[in-house]
Amino acid sequence: MGTSLFDHIGRFFADIGAVQREKAIALTCVELNELENIFALLLLGSFVGFPAPPTFLSVELLPFMEREMAVLHQRAGDASDMLAEMVGTMGID
Amino acid sequence: MKILFYTGKGGVGKSTMAAAAAWQISRENRVLIVSLDPAHNLGDIFCVTLENGSRQLTDRLILREVDLKKLSRDYLEREVKVLTDTYKYLQVLNLERYFSVLKYSPGIEEYALLTSIEETIRREKGFDYIIFDTPPTGLTLRFLALPQVTITWIDRLMQIRRQILEKRYTIQKIRGLLKEGQKSPEIRLEFNEDEDGVIQRLKTMKNNYDTLNGILQGENCGVILVFNPDVLSLRESDRLMEGLKELGFPLRLLIDNKVTDENREMASRVEEEFKKMAGGIPLQRVALSEALYCGAEQKLYDIPEDLLSNLQWKEKKDV
Repeated sequence: MGTSLFDHIGRFFADIGAVQREKAIALTCVELNELENIFALLLLGSFVGFPAPPTFLSVELLPFMEREMAVLHQRAGDASDMLAEMVGTMGID
Repeated sequence: MKILFYTGKGGVGKSTMAAAAAWQISRENRVLIVSLDPAHNLGDIFCVTLENGSRQLTDRLILREVDLKKLSRDYLEREVKVLTDTYKYLQVLNLERYFSVLKYSPGIEEYALLTSIEETIRREKGFDYIIFDTPPTGLTLRFLALPQVTITWIDRLMQIRRQILEKRYTIQKIRGLLKEGQKSPEIRLEFNEDEDGVIQRLKTMKNNYDTLNGILQGENCGVILVFNPDVLSLRESDRLMEGLKELGFPLRLLIDNKVTDENREMASRVEEEFKKMAGGIPLQRVALSEALYCGAEQKLYDIPEDLLSNLQWKEKKDV
């Protein structure tokens, strides 16, 4: 029953490590989101008036694009407040 | 196996020339002639009815007409099936109804055409020759260009996708890779190429198109341009030849069709122009068939001119 003090201390340091790691990859995560957004935009850009690839290419890849479409959707929602987005990315409180 | 495409402006006699060539080749070789033109008239030329789009005319000659609408529908049905399998929770919605509108998308028809060509070449290994009678210039150029356009897109998309996978790998590595049986509170993203559905599909498509492009530009494939002795035909053929050159498809023969006593002078002038433009590509003159006006007594496909001896299979003749 219950965890020992040493376990708690161990978890504490492990979480500090995890926080540091998350900080280290924050920018890479933003980059990844942007890349996924670009990928979805290139394939499905015809919806917003961009030149489209051959239609069947989009159709072929559509079944695997669930995440990219969600990212595209989210980015479209955030687009109205770019300043907050930039401040958030740079970690300014 | 040799593959021939008969192209040209609408109404110049592509189908008749393709049928005549198929008939002449079938005296010694096994031939499959496929009509890709939505306005099929292979049956009319050979004076037969095609059942289910196919008919064996002789031991060595098979006629086939491709149903583009059916091909587009089949293709979309396949895609809708993959979509429904992937998004199982959406099955309550009538997905097919929503996707039915896709058949009006630009590009689907060209894709269906290309798929049909690719499948025919892949499956019909038992023939010595496959002859394709193509739709008029515009559509033909578009679908012949499709493999290269698609490959360019696929290359760029694969490049971005690989970058995405690299980033995902970096993120997962810094966060710490999961041990076996360990569960993560976050969604685990695929970073391995072998497990990423998008890149796998892109790779498969690239392979298919590379193979098809290789065949279409290869030494066993050739385009034959049919034209009439008139200025409009000359202008359109000029554009077609330019398009073929850009795409790297080998032009093997020019056919000046429907030449009569009245237009012989014009025919010579147009042929001169063609010789200047096409430099070195053999030219064959074919007289206007009287059978066109005399009813079905005479065979339209059985013309006296030899359409084979001039076919140039090598870019440069060996000395």
